[in-house]
Amino acid sequence: MLLIVSAITFFMINLAPGGPSALMRFDVTPEQREALTRRFGLDQPVPVRYLQWLAGALHGDLGTSLTTQQPVLDRIGERLPNTLLLSGLALTLSIVVGIPMGIASALRRGKPTDYTLSTLSLLGLSIPAFWFGIMLILTFSVTLQWLPSSGVATTGADFSLKDRLQHLIMPTIVLSTAALPTVVRFTRSAMLEVLGQDYIRTATAKGLSRTVVTYGHALRNALVPVISVIGALVPRLVGGAVVTEAVFGWPGMGRLAVEAANGRDYPLVVGITVVIAAIVILTSLLVDLAYTWIDPRIRLA
Amino acid sequence: MTLPIGADPTLNPWHPNAFVESLFVNRVLFGGLAKPGKDLNPAPDLAASWKAADDGMSWTFNLRDNVTWSDGQPFTADDVDYTFNQIVLKPDAGANGRGNFSAVSDVKVVDPKTAVFNLSRPFAALPSYLAYNAGILPKHVFAGAGDPWALNSFNKGTPVSTGPFKVQNFTSGQSVVLTRNDSYYAGKPLLDQLVFKVVADANTQIAQALSGELQIMILDNKAAVDRLKGARGLSVQPRTLVQYYWLALNQTDPRFHDVRVRQAIEYAIDRNAIIQAIEKGYGTIANSAIVPALKTYYDSSLENRYPYDPAKASALLAEAGWAASGPDGLLQKDGQPFSFTMDVGQRGVLQPTNELIQQNLKKVGIGADLNAMEWNAYIQKVVVNRDYAATVNWWVYPNDPDVLPYYASSAAGKGFNIPGYQDAALDDLLAQGQKTSDPAARKPIYTQMQAYMADKLPYNFLWYPQEIDVVSDTLQGVPDLNLRDAMHYVQEWSLKKS
Amino acid sequence: MTPRARHGAWYRLVRQPLPCASLVLLVALHLAVVLGPRVWTISPQATDPINALLDPSPEHPLGTDELGRDELARMLQGGQVSLVVGFCAMLTSIVLGLLVGALAGFYGGVASAILMRVTDAMLAIPGLFLILAAVTVFGANPVTIILIIGATSWMAVARVIFGETLRWKATEFVQAAQALGASGPYVLARHILPQTTASVVVSATLGVGIAILTESALSYLGLGIQPPTASWGNMLQNAQQYMFTAPALAVYPGVVVTVVVLAYNFLGDGLRDALDPRL
Repeated sequence: MLLIVSAITFFMINLAPGGPSALMRFDVTPEQREALTRRFGLDQPVPVRYLQWLAGALHGDLGTSLTTQQPVLDRIGERLPNTLLLSGLALTLSIVVGIPMGIASALRRGKPTDYTLSTLSLLGLSIPAFWFGIMLILTFSVTLQWLPSSGVATTGADFSLKDRLQHLIMPTIVLSTAALPTVVRFTRSAMLEVLGQDYIRTATAKGLSRTVVTYGHALRNALVPVISVIGALVPRLVGGAVVTEAVFGWPGMGRLAVEAANGRDYPLVVGITVVIAAIVILTSLLVDLAYTWIDPRIRLA
Repeated sequence: MTLPIGADPTLNPWHPNAFVESLFVNRVLFGGLAKPGKDLNPAPDLAASWKAADDGMSWTFNLRDNVTWSDGQPFTADDVDYTFNQIVLKPDAGANGRGNFSAVSDVKVVDPKTAVFNLSRPFAALPSYLAYNAGILPKHVFAGAGDPWALNSFNKGTPVSTGPFKVQNFTSGQSVVLTRNDSYYAGKPLLDQLVFKVVADANTQIAQALSGELQIMILDNKAAVDRLKGARGLSVQPRTLVQYYWLALNQTDPRFHDVRVRQAIEYAIDRNAIIQAIEKGYGTIANSAIVPALKTYYDSSLENRYPYDPAKASALLAEAGWAASGPDGLLQKDGQPFSFTMDVGQRGVLQPTNELIQQNLKKVGIGADLNAMEWNAYIQKVVVNRDYAATVNWWVYPNDPDVLPYYASSAAGKGFNIPGYQDAALDDLLAQGQKTSDPAARKPIYTQMQAYMADKLPYNFLWYPQEIDVVSDTLQGVPDLNLRDAMHYVQEWSLKKS
Repeated sequence: MTPRARHGAWYRLVRQPLPCASLVLLVALHLAVVLGPRVWTISPQATDPINALLDPSPEHPLGTDELGRDELARMLQGGQVSLVVGFCAMLTSIVLGLLVGALAGFYGGVASAILMRVTDAMLAIPGLFLILAAVTVFGANPVTIILIIGATSWMAVARVIFGETLRWKATEFVQAAQALGASGPYVLARHILPQTTASVVVSATLGVGIAILTESALSYLGLGIQPPTASWGNMLQNAQQYMFTAPALAVYPGVVVTVVVLAYNFLGDGLRDALDPRL
């Protein structure tokens, strides 16, 4: 799987018109361009370069970034924790806030709470993330000056948890609009489906308190499709991170990918895609495992 | 003291990946033989004085003797030798800026404090070019260390430097923190620490300037200037730049051969409107290649050569045979409508400029289609392959009137003569200007050259932009220079305690 | 679905206020975008730098943009472009999704396994990355953008159609038709696909919203519809520069995109509830 992803990406990015930024400067002479082409090994045909890359990759060496001459793995390693932090927090926020919201919505179906929550969810799905981010920056950073507008932490200062959190709030909120609404909606519909089932009505008829019924039985079963949705949300979060990182100047993988694509930094683009694909595959495996834990009736086929 | 840069820098001025953001840091870290003086003439930096030989075929540089590298090693002519002979001039190294030194054949060490640059042709502008992103690298670090572009402990870490500040740490995607170099040859700098913060988004830079997180920045987005003028604690400073925007009409297209057509297009473009709308008034009309900042050489009499005059443009076009108007409102000649495509690189103010020019041309019956392209693809098409009809871009060059590389007939096709205009008379003037380094002797040559250029329009000159710097009131000692040049004086800056 | 069930669906739909209002709003908006330029004839490209960034006035009901162009005219053109791109991209993704999902569901076997594997693989890669790479390679003109957005959003539709096809394949009347000698494609087209109409309609409605958002995100990154053609997405990107001096320029396209996508989402939700009353 990873092989296919890497191959497709490699060939695609090499097809793109233009070349690495180092060669594509206005003030570069043709001799410089030729010299750099040879240095970067770009004068060899694409399939040969792919095989060279592959040989290295199998040993853990994903090549050298064309824009900084550093090893690709190093560059990714610098940025990956930041994206994981942001995405992880956004995912956690979506789950921790979304599931209760979905349950509340389901339990109060048809009432104002349900309508409000549903509308808010849809709003979250409809609003362009970058616009939302810009509006937040305008309000909280420029006008009210409560929150910093970019970066991971205040530069030159010592580590402070409060400082880190202040930098994290807005990007996390904006990124969670990619996942929270879906979690709410899925939880709601899953709960509704389960609550309508016979055995629930039986349990209620038998006199078990509403709370026990809800949290004990319904939730357990409703969680199953929700877990699967979470698995599907990971790619969306990573993709959404590209835009969120751009708006908030967050030094993560998303921005790195855009820079790499624009700068035609072939090894870096392929490296990032492979790493991301690996992460997504890993997450789906984890989700599958979570499945079996939640419902022991499901066995891995 | 914090200032923003757009991306991670590469701490090596000659590195092929040293783009604009690296400039600012490298000018602080690495002294060159000369630096831009406050009057823009080259001033001594690591070289205390220099002199051209009588035949103009070599320059001798006398180096200072009290300069040490940040690791304690002394700076000598060997470093200059190594930097140029082994890195810059090496044909297959691909060093950035190599093209600026095409007239230099090699560098010789006479004694530890004297270096001689041998030339293949007279090159009066050499000191100015040595003041232009030409920092000297330490031989004792690079000799024997293999590929200079792969030495990441230096280029992306903590390099060994001669400047007033040295690198303390480099956090990718976030900042480069410099601390004071107490053994700087010109005395201890006033600031303790200099932080280059990576802020990629222009609006975020503005927001951070407003909130006091940044003390100085270049305002690329001039639209926000009014907001910043009204902000407390900040001042807006216009600075001169050695830069001009131009429209290149590819001379391989026969329609653009006729000078009347080029002149007509010059009259048809409302450059004042562009300056007002896009530069918010911070710019002046350009009719030649020498910028007003180069006061010694700039000829101000050319300022009104091409006022905005669509009627005159139409008259000239008619003279050139483009008279009858076709059904689509475009001028025609020999049954062909006057239309072409303008390739637009997505950077800076190029997009809105092209949109305004397109409308101006439409008014006189010339149909220009815009083809917006992502930057790398644009360079490939326009600069590498010269496959274009018309395009707008700019030149930035050192503080010297020698603009031969951009106008010489020999530079057409593969060199920096983008339109490919070839004219022996112009070549002659350009070569003459390189022969002597005496400003009094050069001035008449360049005055003649400017008049000739304004007449013949090898490029359609558009405007000279000004730079707007946003400076915090707490920051003192910043000279009245554009920020790149001002970085050479960072040891004089200080922060007022508020 | 039987005619009677569909009749009931319509009835159920109009009883829901929000989706109903959304439908009305969308129809009005689409009409405005199509007919508007015939009434409001100022060119969206005509620059007038002296009159840049003006406040709303009778001549320019929404003011002017940074180059003096009429904002209302640009919003109308932007609407045409964004809505057309959104629609066509959605159509592309529906067609692709139908093809893949129906074929995989109906024919089964190795081909089906491969097809669904590919679908899952593509779902795993974050869409924006694929789009980024594709735009860098193929360029950013309206046709390629439509195709690229379509080619990266068909997977969800395919999954849904796959499930539906499997479901309907097992029903009696389909098996009867096959027993009577009807060929595969015939059964697929005549019997199964019509049953999936409900899902397709819902997917389509929601898909337009997603396509519009994707186009505007692309334009924000500079990879979408290129100026001087206006699209709501690239108008937002332009307006970011003027955030401090003329924030209204960022508000108009942003609000309109949000409202339009919200309306499509409400409508899609309403349709889903109406057409599938189990929930």
